[in-house]
Amino acid sequence: MTTMTRGGFASAASSLEFNTGGWRLARPEHRGRHAPCETSCPAGENPRAYLGAAADGDLRAAWEKLVEANPLPAITGRVCHHPCETGCNRGQYDEPIAIHSIERFLGDRAIEAGWDYPVGAPGGDAPAAAIVGAGPAGLSAAYHLLKRGIKPVLFDAQPAAGGLLRSALPPYRLPRTILDREIERVIAAGIDFRPDKRIGRDISIEELRADYRAVFLAPGAERPRRWSADGAEPARMRYGLDLLKSWTSVGDLPVKGKIAIVGGGNTAIDLARVLKFAGATEVHVITFQALPGAAAVPDAMSAVAREIRQAVEEGVIIHDHRGIRRLIMRGEKLEAVEMVHMREMDDSGRGRRLVAFEGTETILKADEVIPAIGQEVNSAGFESVIGRGPFFHADRFGRLADHAGIFAGGDACGAAGTVSGAIGDGRRAARAIEAYLRGTAPPEQAVIEPIAYRHLNLSYFDHAPRAAAPILSASERSAGNEIESSISQAGVHAEAERCFSCGECMACDNCWTLCPDNSVLKLAGAPPGRDRYVFDYEHCKGCGICAHECPAGFIMMIDEN
Amino acid sequence: MEPKREGISVAALHHQQPAFRGLDAGHMACPGCGQALGARLVTEAIGPDAIIANATGCLEVFTSMWPRSSWRVPWIHSLFENAPAVASGIEAALKAQGRQTKVVVMGGDGGTFDIGLQSLSGMLERNHNVLYVCFDNEAYMNTGVQRSSSTPHAAMTTTSPRGETRMGKRHLKKDLLAIIGAHRIPYAATATVAYPSDLRAKVRRGIEIEGAAFLLVHSPCPLGWGHDGADSIEVARLAVQTGFFPIVEMERGVVAGVMKIREVRPVADYLRLQDRFQHLFEDSREAREELQHLQELADHNIEVYGLRADEPHPRDSEGADTVRRGGMRWS
Repeated sequence: MTTMTRGGFASAASSLEFNTGGWRLARPEHRGRHAPCETSCPAGENPRAYLGAAADGDLRAAWEKLVEANPLPAITGRVCHHPCETGCNRGQYDEPIAIHSIERFLGDRAIEAGWDYPVGAPGGDAPAAAIVGAGPAGLSAAYHLLKRGIKPVLFDAQPAAGGLLRSALPPYRLPRTILDREIERVIAAGIDFRPDKRIGRDISIEELRADYRAVFLAPGAERPRRWSADGAEPARMRYGLDLLKSWTSVGDLPVKGKIAIVGGGNTAIDLARVLKFAGATEVHVITFQALPGAAAVPDAMSAVAREIRQAVEEGVIIHDHRGIRRLIMRGEKLEAVEMVHMREMDDSGRGRRLVAFEGTETILKADEVIPAIGQEVNSAGFESVIGRGPFFHADRFGRLADHAGIFAGGDACGAAGTVSGAIGDGRRAARAIEAYLRGTAPPEQAVIEPIAYRHLNLSYFDHAPRAAAPILSASERSAGNEIESSISQAGVHAEAERCFSCGECMACDNCWTLCPDNSVLKLAGAPPGRDRYVFDYEHCKGCGICAHECPAGFIMMIDEN
Repeated sequence: MEPKREGISVAALHHQQPAFRGLDAGHMACPGCGQALGARLVTEAIGPDAIIANATGCLEVFTSMWPRSSWRVPWIHSLFENAPAVASGIEAALKAQGRQTKVVVMGGDGGTFDIGLQSLSGMLERNHNVLYVCFDNEAYMNTGVQRSSSTPHAAMTTTSPRGETRMGKRHLKKDLLAIIGAHRIPYAATATVAYPSDLRAKVRRGIEIEGAAFLLVHSPCPLGWGHDGADSIEVARLAVQTGFFPIVEMERGVVAGVMKIREVRPVADYLRLQDRFQHLFEDSREAREELQHLQELADHNIEVYGLRADEPHPRDSEGADTVRRGGMRWS
C-alpha cells in the first residue's frame, strides 16, 4: 500500500468549491430588447417572434404569434407598406428580411388549413361593445375585444365587411377570394356582425350609446376632399376615390385620352394603374410630394413605394414636386393643365406650407383632371361627436374628449391612412375599452427605442440573399390578376433563418460555448430560446465575453460596483 | 435581476451539460482568459477517456489550487521542460497494457517554443501516439509577461519594453510550425479560440490519427496583451482576419489546408485593441515603420499560405463562425 504525500495528489474534489464569482465587477444578464421590426409596425406585430417560430418549423405557432396583434395577415401581407422591412437591421447588412412575404404566407396557410383564431367565446354575462365600421380598424377592434372577453357587435353601412379594402383596393393588389375568406374567418371567430346599418339612417349614435356602454367609431373617410385650381372647377368633375369604388364594384370604367391625377397617395396611384389597365392613352400623376428613393425622403409620396415603382413600370408618368396652378378650358372641355414646381416648406416653426415657384410653369395636355388628394369623414349621423371635423379627435388611447365611452380610430381619425395603422388603432382602442369597462385607466404604452444595428455582433452572420417573391412583368399585368405571388415554404424558412433576432435569444450557444469559466449552463430539454441558458453567478468572473459575442445583443453587463 | 428558475440547482447543472467538460469552473484564470477557454474546448473534443500531461505555466497553476483540482480527467504536472517526455512514457505504458486511453500534452508557448522544445522534438521524432496542444499567448504570462520566442515582433513585454532604441521586441516570432513540420509527423495544425468548431474538429483529427499530432492554439491573454477581457474572442478573430495568425493544417510537414480569409482586415484593427502594440500608433517614424513591418509580415503570411479567399466559403474566416438558431453550428 503506497502512502501518498500531501503534495502528491489533490483531494478528489472539484474547484467548483471556489466561488470565483466574488471577483466580479459586472454581471451578465439576459436583457431582451425590442427589434426595430416590432417598434416600427403600426399594427403592433412582433415579426421577430413569428420568424423565430417559423425558423423552428412551427408555422402554426408562428401564425398564432402573428395574430396576437393582427387578425388580417393574408391581407396586410399583400397591401401593407411594411415599415418593418424599412426598419429591419438586416437592411444595413445586406437586404431586409422579406417580412411581408412571410406574413402573407402564414395568413394564406391559416386560411387553407382552417386554423382557428386563438380566441374563446365570451361568457354569457360578458359586457358588449359596439363598433361602427367593418374596415380594418373595426375588424381589429372587434377581434381584440373578443380576445379580451368582451362581446363585439359590429355595424357597417355596407352589405359586406371590409370597408375600403373591399370598396377601393384593386384585385391586382388584393384578390377578392383572400379578402372574403380572411374576413369571413375573423367574423366567424365570434363577432356579431350587423350589415346594412348606416349611422344616421338605420341607427343613431344615441341609440348605440343607450344600448352599449362603449362604442368604437371607425367609419373611415369616404368623402373626397374638395379640390379646385385657383377657384376653378370643371363641370362634372369626377373624384379619385369615387372612380376607384365604382370600378371595383362594376369592374370596368369608361375612360379615354389623357388623364391627369392630382395626389400622391395610394388612391392616386391605384387609380392611375387602373386607368392605364383600362386603356387610357396617358396617365399622369401630379404631386407636390417626392418620389420615394432608396434612402428615406422626408416628403415622400404617401403611397406604398412598391406600388409607385410598379406603376412607373406600367407606364404611369409621375410628376413629383409639381402642383396644378390653372386649368386651361375650351368652353366646357378641359384642354390642358398648367403645372408649376411646388413643394411643402417649413413655415418658420408654424407647421408646413405649400410654396409654388413662379416662372416654372409648364403646360400638360389632358382630357380630364381627377383629384385624389385625400378623404374626410362623411359626418352625416356623427354630428354630435365629431365636433368641428372633418375627422374625429381621438387621444392616443382612441378616446374622444368630452364623450366618455366613445372611442374612434382608423382613417376617420385622419392619420396616415394605412391598413396597418388602422389595425393598430383597433387594438389600442380595444385595450382602452376594456379598461373603461373595468373603470380603470388605460394602460400607458411606453415609447420604446429598438436595439440598434451596432449592438449586434455581426461576425456571426453570413450574407444571404433575400427570398424574392415572383412578380409579373409589366406586360403580363392586368387589373384582375394579382401581381405579386407567394414565396415557397422553403423560402419562408430561409428568410426566417436570415433573421438577426435583434435583442432576443436565438439559442445559438455562443455564450455557452465561449465562456472561459463554464458559467453559462444549458438546460436540457428547454426550447430554443432564452430559457435554455442560466448564468452561474457563483463562478462567473464577469469578463463580458458572452455579452460581447452575443450575436443578438441579448446579454448586457450590469455594473455591480 | 435574472429571474429565479424554480427547482434548478446550478451546481448540479455543471455536470449535466450536453458535452463532457474536462475542466471545471472555479479555476483561478483571469476574467476573459483565452487559455482557460481553449483548454476546456479541447477537453470537450477529447472526451473523458484521456490522460493529460501539463507543462508548467498558467494553465497548470490556475487549475490546481491545493487541495482542489479543476480537472475531471487524470492529470499530471512534472516540470516546465519535460511534459512531452512524461506523456511519451504514459503512452508507452498504455500501449504495453493494450489500452486505448488518449494521451494529451498541454503547454504554453514558453514550455513549447522555448523550454520544452527538445523533449517535444524527441516525442515527435519517436512518433508517440500523443496529441500535443500548445496554448500560444505569446509570452511568459504566469511569471509576469516576459518575452518568449513566440512573442510577435514589436510587441511590448516587461523584458521587451518600448525603449530608447527599440519598439518592443526586436526579434521575430519563431516559426514553430515549420520546425514541427520538419519532423514529418502525421498531423500538425494551428487553431484559435475564436473559431471553436474549427478547433474541435482539429482536436478530433489529432486524436484519431495514429502517431504524433501537434496543435498550436492562439489564446488571447487580457492581462499580458492589455485588452478588455470581453474582447478576447474579438482579438483572436482579428488575428485570423488580418493574416497575423494564419490558420493552417499540415500532413507530414506539407500544408494541406488553410482557413481562407474572405475579407482581409488591416493589422492595425488587430493591434489597436491591445496595449502591447499601442506604441506603434505614436506619431514617429519608428512607429510608422514598425506598424508597416507588422502589416508586411501579415501580408507575407497571406502570400505564402495562400490565405486570400477567391469566393465565399462556409469554412472561411467569415463563414466558419456563422451561428444558426438553436445552436446548429455546434451539433
